[in-house]
Amino acid sequence: MGKTIALKVEALTKTFRDGGRKLVRAVDNATFHVEEGEVVGLLGPNGAGKTTTIKCALGLMGPDSGRITVFGEDVQSGYPGILRKMSAVLEGSRNLYWRLTVWENILFFSALHGVASSEDKAYFNHLLNLFSLEKKRNVEVRKLSQGMKQKTSVVCALARRTPLVFLDEPTLGLDVETSLELRTLLKQLALEEDRAFVVSSHDMDVIQDVCGRVIIMSQGRVVVDDRVSSLIDLFRTKAYRIALRGSVPPGLEERLRQEFAGASVAEIDSGTEVRVTLSEDDDIYRLMDILRDADAVIDEISHEEIDMEKVYLEVVRKERELL
Amino acid sequence: MNLGTVFLAVFRREWTMIKRYMVNSISSLMSVYLIFILIFMGFKSMSNYVMAGSLEGSLEGTVVGFFVWTFTIYAFSDLSWSLISEAQAGTLEQLYLAPCGFKWVGACTVLANLVFSLVPIMVLLFAMMATTGKWMNLDFVSLVPLLIITLLGAYGFGFALGGLALVFKRIQALFQIMQFVFVGFLIVPIRVAWAKFLPLAMGNSLIYTVMVDGARLWELPLNDILIAIAVGAAYLAVGIVIFSRCENVAKSRGLLGHY
Ligand SMILES: Nc1ncnc2c1ncn2[C@@H]1O[C@H](COP(=O)(O)OP(=O)(O)OP(=O)(O)O)[C@@H](O)[C@H]1O
Ligand SMILES: [Mg+2]
Repeated sequence: MGKTIALKVEALTKTFRDGGRKLVRAVDNATFHVEEGEVVGLLGPNGAGKTTTIKCALGLMGPDSGRITVFGEDVQSGYPGILRKMSAVLEGSRNLYWRLTVWENILFFSALHGVASSEDKAYFNHLLNLFSLEKKRNVEVRKLSQGMKQKTSVVCALARRTPLVFLDEPTLGLDVETSLELRTLLKQLALEEDRAFVVSSHDMDVIQDVCGRVIIMSQGRVVVDDRVSSLIDLFRTKAYRIALRGSVPPGLEERLRQEFAGASVAEIDSGTEVRVTLSEDDDIYRLMDILRDADAVIDEISHEEIDMEKVYLEVVRKERELL
Repeated sequence: MNLGTVFLAVFRREWTMIKRYMVNSISSLMSVYLIFILIFMGFKSMSNYVMAGSLEGSLEGTVVGFFVWTFTIYAFSDLSWSLISEAQAGTLEQLYLAPCGFKWVGACTVLANLVFSLVPIMVLLFAMMATTGKWMNLDFVSLVPLLIITLLGAYGFGFALGGLALVFKRIQALFQIMQFVFVGFLIVPIRVAWAKFLPLAMGNSLIYTVMVDGARLWELPLNDILIAIAVGAAYLAVGIVIFSRCENVAKSRGLLGHY
């Protein structure tokens, strides 16, 4: 049953000198893996170490310690031949020659990977059609809109037909419709071609839609590594919405906040609404105690609708608290 | 790894870029020619005595020296500039993802640039000969190997400076200074004992012998050729070592993608 492991990161650590003497731990003892055919989201606040992790895996940065293997082969000892298995859209930087056309870029970068047969070219055309870029085929990249450039970068990465693809912020600058398109395409490609994708994004809708599993990093450490569905289930049982009769009891919000970070109390048409996320199993009793002390009358208790964004924010908030 | 595919791809990329930047390429060639005209006019207004610093102080020496200078500057700057501009543009990291290794992509770039710079440089040479009325011996069988030997040293500098640019970024000034240093390498008379070990100098002197004295490659002193090869290879090797060191530093500090 066991699927092939596409990427394995073991105890990866990478530090940078921050101008002067200070050391920045960009990646701190990170361990995770990605299986073939899996789409894994790499999340975390700015500076969490996502890009650094990706670049270490690609051999663009040398790690301080730890081990990265791609399809069982050690990246450092297998470099640069191991790159045959990987491609990437890198964040922020331009991944394309602006003076070359869309088609010329695709041909050039895939040829570097030795992908240049006529069957490959048919595949490039297939990708251009999928991404609705066929009309822009012979247009210089500098004349494309931001979103089209981004899509072309993604096509260039996919065109190399590698079994492992890193996409660092692939939906940055895409309009809603194009972003939706890209999500559908990624899911389709992962399913049809059994490739592994590592997608880093701040757009939780994209992550929830595309990724089966997410890895959340914070301060260089992996703090969550779980299936999206189980995370949402887990948080659904922890996030409560409580409707109270009448106006907001004085001091309730402060009292709740002391116990449960991120709790909110708001006045709504039918009375008062309390939103709170619990962390321990017996927190519910403490919550009830506080409500009773405030003489609140409970109308309704329900589980809050949870999406990836709420899960993510909750995880990040907790991490901040631990500091 | 299929290096042929990589070379073809790089070759095609260079050719497309040249076509897209045609105006640029032509105007840079024109400006090189203008510099030569200035030197030529200066030369005519001065006695040979003043110009004794250049190869034997002859007009031929100036033409040959300028020719070799342009050729080596093209090679040197193509290499370091393409590294700098790719790092600036952000495509460098993508080149580092090539499974054959970046060094081979770089080598293919160097080779393609060499091939594409031959035509403009020959045009320039003819323009210079027509301007001065000094028609020299263009024995390509003898010249091409000597030019390539002379280029080795220039590529060494190209790699070294390109590597330094990856780590230290703002080294444009050093880059411009190098162009003048190259002039120095070319005008030091080879009679000076240590001049033999300067990059470019020995090759330049051999090229002079071919172009002005009409010697064939096999009539040249074997010793001199061997010295030129050894010196060129040594500078190239040092350049590549410096580049590799800088590459490692750039990777450990995460500088490949920044500029
Ligand atoms: N080349 C570098 N030199 C010095 N410090 C760096 C370098 N690259 C990254 N860092 C530092 O390492 C940490 C992690 O950065 P990284 O780019 O990996 O974060 P990220 O998770 O990708 O963030 P973002 O969401 O903003 O893209 C940050 O503190 C950053 O300042
Ligand atoms: Mg990043």
